[in-house]
Amino acid sequence: MEESLIKQPMMCPKCNIAMNRHAEKLVEPRDGDAAQDSGVLGGAIEEIHSCPGCGGVGARAGS
Amino acid sequence: MTDRPLFIPVLLGTVRKGRVSEHVARFVSSQVAARSGVETELIDIASLSMPIDDAGESIKDSGFAAKMERMDGLVIVSPEYNHGYPGLLKHVLDSCLKEYVHKAVGIVGVSAGPIGGARGVQGLLPVMRELGLVNIFWDVYFSGAHKLFDESGNLKDTTAWTPRVDKFLNELIWMAKVMRHGREEIVLD
Repeated sequence: MEESLIKQPMMCPKCNIAMNRHAEKLVEPRDGDAAQDSGVLGGAIEEIHSCPGCGGVGARAGS
Repeated sequence: MTDRPLFIPVLLGTVRKGRVSEHVARFVSSQVAARSGVETELIDIASLSMPIDDAGESIKDSGFAAKMERMDGLVIVSPEYNHGYPGLLKHVLDSCLKEYVHKAVGIVGVSAGPIGGARGVQGLLPVMRELGLVNIFWDVYFSGAHKLFDESGNLKDTTAWTPRVDKFLNELIWMAKVMRHGREEIVLD
């Protein structure tokens, strides 16, 4: 259930259309922030999305 | 593909008093503004109020971040100080991340010496990569910069610089178009 929710497209808050998931960025944890450390990759994955309508950028936690 | 204009701002990367880089940035900005289908703006890091008791995205300036989100390509004008780029430029750049990903960047080096800020530019390249920006393979190096401008800040000899900036912008605009298409149309597997 949780995984299917993660794979739903991110919606542009301005255009209300599906954004395009075009990148995954490894974000290294800040000092003392263990929650951002995925263990295997050494950081947290952040998905980057862009809106084909307005070019707006969105991001959310990836896996 | 959308037909909205490209937004390619010019980031002036120094706050030092008497900076010649400001003249360079204004010249480059005028060249960007002359391109059809491109909108631009000169962003002076000295105009941003960023604290120096923290760093990274926690000090994000909403106005700067909005411009980085809107931009399709970025020109950075960076002087070389002690063989490196200015620390406050890095401080400002580090305040955003998702706003940069898969966007084109070109760097203009400035120095009073003969190398035109090349060492500072070379130092910036791996930083750009980590921020998710995509470097183009054209740079412009304004060497002997303190001799290039008149008292009003205008280039004394535009014929020496306009062709170089022209080639640089051709590449940057091409890359900005390609990267926009990729960001908006091509899904990451």
